[in-house]
Formats: sequence, structure tokens, C-alpha cells
Amino acid sequence: MEQVLANGVYLGAQYALIALGLTLIFALMNVLNFAHGQLYVLGGFVTYTIYGQLGLPYVVALLASAVSLAIVGAALQGFLFGPVIRRSQREESTMLLAAGIAFLLDAVILLLFGEKQRGVPKIVDGVLNWDFRVIMPYDRILICALAIAFVAAFILYMQYSRTGRALRALAQDRIAAELMGVDVSRYSMIGFALGAMLAGIVGGLLVTITGVNLGMGGPTSIKAFLMVMIGGAGVISGAIAGGFILGMMESIGLSVLSQYGDVTYLVIFASLMVFLAIRPQGLMGKPWG
Amino acid sequence: MLRFSDVELYYDHVYALKGVSLDLMQGETVALIGANGAGKSSILRAITGLRPIRSGEIRFEGERIDGTAPAAIVKMGIVMVPEGRRVFPYMSVRDNLLMGAFTRSDRAGIARSLEAVLARFPRLEERWSQAAGTLSGGEQQMLVIGRALMARPRLLLLDEPSLGIAPTLVQEIARSIVAINRDENVSVLLVEQNSRMALRISNRAYALATGQVAVSGLSAELLEDDRIKAAYLGGNV
Repeated sequence: MEQVLANGVYLGAQYALIALGLTLIFALMNVLNFAHGQLYVLGGFVTYTIYGQLGLPYVVALLASAVSLAIVGAALQGFLFGPVIRRSQREESTMLLAAGIAFLLDAVILLLFGEKQRGVPKIVDGVLNWDFRVIMPYDRILICALAIAFVAAFILYMQYSRTGRALRALAQDRIAAELMGVDVSRYSMIGFALGAMLAGIVGGLLVTITGVNLGMGGPTSIKAFLMVMIGGAGVISGAIAGGFILGMMESIGLSVLSQYGDVTYLVIFASLMVFLAIRPQGLMGKPWG
Repeated sequence: MLRFSDVELYYDHVYALKGVSLDLMQGETVALIGANGAGKSSILRAITGLRPIRSGEIRFEGERIDGTAPAAIVKMGIVMVPEGRRVFPYMSVRDNLLMGAFTRSDRAGIARSLEAVLARFPRLEERWSQAAGTLSGGEQQMLVIGRALMARPRLLLLDEPSLGIAPTLVQEIARSIVAINRDENVSVLLVEQNSRMALRISNRAYALATGQVAVSGLSAELLEDDRIKAAYLGGNV
């Protein structure tokens, strides 16, 4: 039991961080970023290159993942989403654009890093064994703690910084925020950069445990959408709740349902459909809060 | 202080302003009255840069401001209180007010403005950490006016501040507009469908009809003007 909970928290922390980035971009720009999983994979490959290949300290690699993905995010908004949103009245345009960017990033990743599964050396050795009730390698514990710390830092930043306040204002009422002097195109860029940065950080964290490969992008995007739908689109608390709920369901599924075969995600999808039929706006469905 | 010369503004192919000229002196309260769709709000949108104008020019203290982005307009000291209140509903009263000071970085000055706003609208202090969306209509109106004052405006644009507010509160809002204009040396451009209230608290007024200035003059005289009485004051008591 304790083991299942521990696994759930470990997964949930990573998932929450992915969902936060997706929901931030959605709340700010009404863009469903189908390329979110690819941003995560890209972050993983940056850490793989710097820590795994060049042998620089892991902290440097994680920082590089964060910074490079923030730049990618800002560029996506500045050169692609921004102009499309300005010119097009229809929401499908940005959805198509996001899907196209997902394919584009897949191709870029293939060209730069190849199609092989890549791993990196362990960041810490050893395994925690608490009386055979919870057994967890120290590197997983460290990664989990880092993820929770990043979630906390993000919440504090959104709640108390001047930029965070402006981003929340922008998500709640674009025109009113503009009338208070918020430069909408600049802050959309900051928001997109932040969202992409979160995806990059998770990529940099998880590459130390599961490694990274080209094929992880699409499934990660789907999981991120699941979490956001469970929690309610565009809400910080919803993204976090959705992340931990999905992590927990996966953890329980893997330990309880595995005897019936690989049915965990079948059960998750089926229960999500029932849940959404009853509560289509998700657990905390309301605009950004 | 503010001057419109022959401004035309279109929404797609439909005109909203057809050659509007008007001006506002430092320290004045000027009212724009007229029916729905007469072009009152379009004038405010043109000033704040939310809508580009097609021709003519808008000057603020001698400088052309048409074509300037909304954020830059705020920095020049022109702040708009939008129609329909538009608080940030899931943010606290405190955060809403701080958003008003978004363009400022003088901490001490922001703290002073905050004190002044709370002294003017003590109700906001009672609601300090409540989400703005849970406030009553009147309180939300106080909040958006207070939020605008946090930007330390020199020209305050008010879009329909009495719309959808309990009649007793309309009086209170009207009094606070007069007080703001008097105490803080803020010029006011007031758009109102409640023409009688607008004429009572303004120095001068422009009556608009179908995108043009129909009648203009001193508010006190317009209150007695037969054309205004017939066209704009009929239904209002």
C-alpha cells in the first residue's frame, strides 16, 4: 500500500508539472498546445546531451533544458502562434498550428538526436528500503522532491510576483489587463516561454530515470490533456489535482490491475469518459484562478 | 489637454464615428451622452488604442496618440474604466488594485495611492482578500474605479459607470467621480446613458447621434435645452 502511494506521488509530481505548463498556455492564449509532449522530449534530449554526452554537472544540464525550452516557447509564440492569433478569428487555426508544430518538432528531434532510446548515468546511487514497505531508489526520491519544489515555486511565482499577477490578469480578462498597461504580446510570450520551460524541466528530470526517446512526445501530450481535463482546463489547482490523480491511478493500476494484463489505461480512459459525462468542466473547472 | 479632430472609426465596413471633433481642458469633467450605438464608447476605444481610427487625429497634451498601443497610453496617464466593470474575477481585491499600478515601480508611491483609494472606498478594505467576482455590482464598480486610480491617471475615462447598478449606489458613484475630479486634479471623460446624472456632474457635454456630435455646450445649459430634453432626458428621472 505504502509503495503504491509513494509511486503515485512520484508520478503525480512529474505529471502535475507537465499539466501546469499546458494549462498555463491554454489559460493565457486559448491555445491547445498539442506539441507540449514534444517540448518535454526536447527538454530530455538537452539534458541528455549536456549531462550524458558532455559530462557537465546535472544542475547545469537541467538549467540548460529550462532555458533552451523557454527560448523555444517564446519563439513559437512570437513567430507562429502570435501572428496566427492576430490574423485568424477561428480557434481551429491554432489547433492545426499546434498539431503541425508537434510533427515539426518530432522531425527536428529525429534529425538532431536520432530515433534511439537514450539514457544518462544515475545522478545518485542507492536505494531507500523502509522495512520492505517502501522501496525506492534515491534518484527517484530526489527527482520527485525537485518536481514538487518546482510546482511550489511556480505557484508562488504566479501568486506573488508582478509578472505572475499580470499573467493571471491576462488570463482572466484580456482587455482589462491591456487597459491596465499590460503589453499583451510581450506577456503572451512570457507565458508561453514559462509553459514550455515547465515541459523542458520535466524532460530534464525524467530523463535521469526513464531515459528519453522520440516516441514519447505524443503519448505525453495525451496524458497532459487527460490531467487538464480531469482537473479543469486553465486552473492551477486543477492541473495539480489532475496530475496527482492520474499519477495515483497509474500507480494503483500497475499494482492492482496488472494481473489482468495491460489494462490500466483502458480503465483510466473508461472512467474518464464517465467522469466527463457527469462533470464536463472537470474538478475545478473555471478560468484561471 | 485632449483633442479630437475629425476622427473617423469603422468596425469592418460599418462606421461608428463619422468626423468627430471634441476637446477637453485640464481639470474638466466632460460628458458624452447619447443612445446605444451613437459612438460614445468608440470614442473611448479610439483614445485608449483598443481600436484603430481610420482618419483624423487624436492629440493628448499636444502630442499625437492615435496609433499608440494601449499599454503606452496608460503610461502617458490616460486610464480607462471599461464598461461592464470587468474586474479580474478570481483575483483578490488587493491583487486587482495592485494590477492598477502595473505600470508603476515606485513602491512608496503605490502604497500611498493604495491608502488614498481605500480611504475613498472603505468598502474595498472590508473585502480586501475576497475574490473580486464575489463582490456586489456597486462594489465592483468602486473596485474598477479604484484600480484605475492606482495608475495615477491625469485623464480618467469612464465607460457607463452607472450601468446595472442599484439606484442608491449610482448617487454614491456620481459623488465619488466629482470628488476624484476635484481632489486629485484628474480630468474626467464620462460616457453615460444616464444623461441626467452625467450632465449634473460634468462641466461640459457632447451629445452624440449616429457617430456625430449633435449638440455640445455647458452641461448646466444643456440640462435646460429643449432639444436635449426631448432627445436625451425623456425617459430618465
